[in-house]
Amino acid sequence: MRNYGTGMLGRFPVRPAKEQQVLLDLVKPDSDSSRTLWSTKITNPQLRQRVSAFGTGLIRVAGLDPEESNVLLLLNDGIEFLITDLALASHSIPSFTLSSPSVLTPVLEEHPPSAIVVHAEFLPQLLELIHDSNDGVHHTIIVVGNTDLDKHLGAIRLLKWEDIERQGAQADQLTPATPKPQDVFTVSFFATPDGQLRGTSLTHENLTAGVTSTRALLPLSGAISPLDTIVSAHSLSTAFGRAVAYTAVFEGTNFATLKSSQFFTAAETTSFDLADLKSVESYPIPSPTLLFAKPSHLTSLSSAILDEARRSSFFFHTLAWRHKFAGIVDGFLTKQSLWDRLVFDDARAKIMGKGAGTVRGVIVAGAPLEAQALTPARIALSVPLVNSHIHPAVAGPVLASHPLDLQTFPTTPATSGSSAADNFAFAYQAPVGPPSINVEAKLLGVDDVAVEDGADPIGALFVRGPSVGKLLHVEQGEENIPEEDRGWVETGERARVLSNGTFKVAIQAK
Amino acid sequence: MSFDLTTPVNTALLLYILYTVQRILFPSNSVPSTVPIEFKSGYSWMPKSHPPTLLFKTYTPKTLEPFNGEEGKRILLAIKGVVYDVTAGRNFYGPNGMYANFAGRDASRGMAKQSFDVEMLTPIDQPLDKLEDLTSEEIESMKGWMDHFSSKYIVCGRLVENDAT
Repeated sequence: MRNYGTGMLGRFPVRPAKEQQVLLDLVKPDSDSSRTLWSTKITNPQLRQRVSAFGTGLIRVAGLDPEESNVLLLLNDGIEFLITDLALASHSIPSFTLSSPSVLTPVLEEHPPSAIVVHAEFLPQLLELIHDSNDGVHHTIIVVGNTDLDKHLGAIRLLKWEDIERQGAQADQLTPATPKPQDVFTVSFFATPDGQLRGTSLTHENLTAGVTSTRALLPLSGAISPLDTIVSAHSLSTAFGRAVAYTAVFEGTNFATLKSSQFFTAAETTSFDLADLKSVESYPIPSPTLLFAKPSHLTSLSSAILDEARRSSFFFHTLAWRHKFAGIVDGFLTKQSLWDRLVFDDARAKIMGKGAGTVRGVIVAGAPLEAQALTPARIALSVPLVNSHIHPAVAGPVLASHPLDLQTFPTTPATSGSSAADNFAFAYQAPVGPPSINVEAKLLGVDDVAVEDGADPIGALFVRGPSVGKLLHVEQGEENIPEEDRGWVETGERARVLSNGTFKVAIQAK
Repeated sequence: MSFDLTTPVNTALLLYILYTVQRILFPSNSVPSTVPIEFKSGYSWMPKSHPPTLLFKTYTPKTLEPFNGEEGKRILLAIKGVVYDVTAGRNFYGPNGMYANFAGRDASRGMAKQSFDVEMLTPIDQPLDKLEDLTSEEIESMKGWMDHFSSKYIVCGRLVENDAT
């Protein structure tokens, strides 16, 4: 067993500041500048008020019990999701989220919730599923949006989200007992690549630690501030998407998610590409400054920009590419060079619109990024680019590269100790950087003999840290393991550590 | 003064200027074919090898015995099942050292009784010393030695019975 925990034995940061103990504390009560979350312009005190009203409504009108009921959130990302999530968390009612609609049926069977919050468009499908599965359970369904179905459908009670909030605001506000940071406030269900259902329980501390590590992704000189607008491709139903959203809420930025993150709709799925990135223009937010995107968004964006640049001025484009590439080889990249002004700014403006001037950082997560896509992306965008690895059980990034790192390496040579699939993945992927600031990573099953001879360690990746949630479905005899060996979570992925401390992770093909 | 290409100085300078201008206008895009192993050799570099670490191995009395420092080998010493790498203390534990008896052996009893005699050592082919007949002060002194070794030397393995692989 080889252990690659780094750091100077200090404790991992668990929260952005001392005051942020539970989820609702991430909505800072004393900053009252207004910002736009999806389509709603709202200040922090107003948000807290709405959360309190909705929470009161849930207890009084919907009849939920703190710590007894659990609520399934089948919502697309939006202000309603945020308010519902914060209200449930402050009243210690666990919520369930699903990382994709395919997990819905197993979850309804194995973990029937007391109430379900759903959008009106998805309601008919949900009712069908409930009628098919357990009919003996009395459900309460809270519907967001307008529906013309009856208030009572047999054993099912239909309530409207807006009614609950309004009635809750009119009643006396309940002040719930403050939950402890180690209390579980949500369980996020996801499917492994071979189709099995897995759940991660996340505590308040996992999320505050996730917010801390997400904030640390960008360099200090370019830290997130209320002037930013964050656009995320990761749904709030996933652990990482939630961490990004709460980072935006904590920092007071404007925030919106892409169309591909909405999956509870009647429409068919969207692909992750340029049109998806542009879908954020339908929200009344200012032009985005930080993009939390998937690799396919990045590659389609950079190839569109480079194609446009090549089309408009071929000779200058080759020369500009040559100069920018020479700069990158020397470790130097800027957006204000002569070649940007001559060639690339026009292309960026045509493709990205106002975003060409405002986007100042891109964080890529969710799938492996190819090494050969790195240089075109750097030249096309010329902003700090972070390549990170995420996992459904971890709030926040697991491994993340340094934003100002411009190193490019040729394909990593294959090692004899790993399988062909691993070798292929490791050869062509861009390295994903060291573990994030509050995650420890460990590789199990490493071939010691090969490593003693100088090869890179390759093994199964295990992680531990304050932002790593606990997996359900895993029984561990934790009492037999000594204190310092506890808490490791199996990610189910194989990783390779290069000699400069960066990782490459081979995700099993879905 | 007119610009005269026939003088060698002018030609040489012109050629030099053309060369420099060409390097500025068309910078080199060459990437070294092997990745540099030092930061001085290039911006994208990769260290030649991982930082050296000591592999934590399981030893038996028979496999531990060769590590007594002869012929430049490492010197290992075991106390209560924990194997320490004491190569740094070659003066004491190496051949001709004061405590050379302990090199490559289980030194638990000797540490407890504060004695370096050969009688303290159990022969290699016999089961490990159970240390049942030691008084509590002797156990205390052995633990004190273990702390001393843990802070001064590296823990690099554990010692198990000969047939317990």
